[in-house]
Amino acid sequence: MTDTEQNEKIIFEALRQVIDPEIGCNILDLGLVYGVAFAAGKVRVTMTLTTPGCPMHESITAGVKNMLLNIEGISNVEVDVVWDPPWHPSMMTEVGRAMTGVRNF
Amino acid sequence: MAATLPISAAVDATAPRVTPATQPFGTTAPSSTLPLMFTVTGLLALFLSASWIVAQPEILAMYHYSPGAIALTHLFVLGWLCSIVMGAMYQLVPVALETKLFSERLAQIQFAFHITGCVGMVWAFQVWNLKFVAQFGAVLAVGVALFIYNLARTLLRVPKWNVVATSVASAIGWVLLAVAAGLVIAIAKSSSESLPKLAGFVFRFDPIGAMHAHAHLGAIGFFLVLIVGVSYKLIPMFTLSELQNHRRAAWSVILLNAGLAGSFVTILLRSPWKLAFALVVISALALYTLELRAILWARKRASLDWGVRYFLTAVGFMFPLSIIAAVLSWPGLRVNAYTMQFENVYGFLGLVGVVSFAIMGMLYKIIPFLVWFGTYSRHIGRAQVPVLAEMYSARLQVIGYWIFLAGLLTTLVAMEFSNPVAVRWGGGLLVASLAVFGFNVAKMLRHFVRPQLKPLAKISVIRTAL
Repeated sequence: MTDTEQNEKIIFEALRQVIDPEIGCNILDLGLVYGVAFAAGKVRVTMTLTTPGCPMHESITAGVKNMLLNIEGISNVEVDVVWDPPWHPSMMTEVGRAMTGVRNF
Repeated sequence: MAATLPISAAVDATAPRVTPATQPFGTTAPSSTLPLMFTVTGLLALFLSASWIVAQPEILAMYHYSPGAIALTHLFVLGWLCSIVMGAMYQLVPVALETKLFSERLAQIQFAFHITGCVGMVWAFQVWNLKFVAQFGAVLAVGVALFIYNLARTLLRVPKWNVVATSVASAIGWVLLAVAAGLVIAIAKSSSESLPKLAGFVFRFDPIGAMHAHAHLGAIGFFLVLIVGVSYKLIPMFTLSELQNHRRAAWSVILLNAGLAGSFVTILLRSPWKLAFALVVISALALYTLELRAILWARKRASLDWGVRYFLTAVGFMFPLSIIAAVLSWPGLRVNAYTMQFENVYGFLGLVGVVSFAIMGMLYKIIPFLVWFGTYSRHIGRAQVPVLAEMYSARLQVIGYWIFLAGLLTTLVAMEFSNPVAVRWGGGLLVASLAVFGFNVAKMLRHFVRPQLKPLAKISVIRTAL
């Protein structure tokens, strides 16, 4: 496994520990994370939420920052919340659907 | 080294097609303490109301134009329903409309006026001192004015006007009229000598008709309009669905408002046309249930949690409530002991079966969120925190649901047949259900005192400098 692959794995593992407390599923399996870019100790996460005006907005984005800053080697985290494309349950993984009882597509 | 990790198949982080989010919730909503103050007050008033029924069941077993029934109704409506709805609005309106509450300080001041006015009015009705009713009513009205001002200023900040904003705006208009109507009646009755013109105007109307018109302004205008409007945002949010037909949703709110305006006038004047306007309200509720059904059909979350089931059961009660409303509005309906008690059944089913049960369902969403937000929000990403559904017992929630239904149905039948013993049994079941609910709320609140944090799973170290 290359360093990049290993680092991807570490970041994904960390994001999998950030839970949407209303739905009861982590943000990765919910399909909320649209992309992660990293370079020179900086990570930029592009993500969405299940609905605009989601009451957990700040908690979840702060959670993402806190979580990634726990990783030794990451010194700066930016989280961009976007609404385009809007989140849809079809973006969830099979694991996420099983956890939340969301129907298949 | 630089890399992009494609995670879901949606978009790349570097893609330019992004719409920045509006203001984050945590900086726009009031603190958890404010809505919790209203919520705890509301729950206390609810428990007192149910206990009052057990202590004096004859209040409901006889016609409701009595000091006891009016005092109890005001404890229930102002103490329980208004406290909860106002607290929830301070929390939910910024969330549902993606804006910021105008002033939290103003809301705290309103709380003081609300409590003083409510306690004073209930006492004054019980001892039937209308002068005090008017004075404490004025205190309450100052609070309501602050509430309306705060919400109106909040609505002015709404970036995108929609059916939810329309219903919130309508509801605050109706509550203003409801309070004004109640205050005018109380002032006219207590100051007929010093204010003969006002008294002369009010006394032109039948007192029971005026009381019923005032009650409909509050019950339909404030509570039902809000339930309908806000659920268009919350039910899709909780069931992972979407509003299916915006026009149908808008018409349900328009017809509800139009029907209420007509109902107010025709009830006040005891006009035979009140059936026509009752049918307008019923058609609004029919549209609402059709839209709700469509939302649920399109939902992505297969199972419905019990909070949503409470709410949907309450919506189901709108069907028998509509039938009763049509019967009671029937021109030339014969007045006898059964039809008079049918009015009690109508009011109780509306306020307890529909409004209260819907609110209890929503409280199973709102209270865990408030407590979670106050306790765990700052820990997310630093420790493992519980999810909302872990903060109360789902089993107790189910038990409370069935006991509540048993209590409601027992009380309704007992009221219709003017049986105080059976009313007491029904009230007892409702108290038991509320005790279960209270226990679950206590479980939620306990997280304030004893947070349940667990350490995060071990995270490896990045191998190379990023």
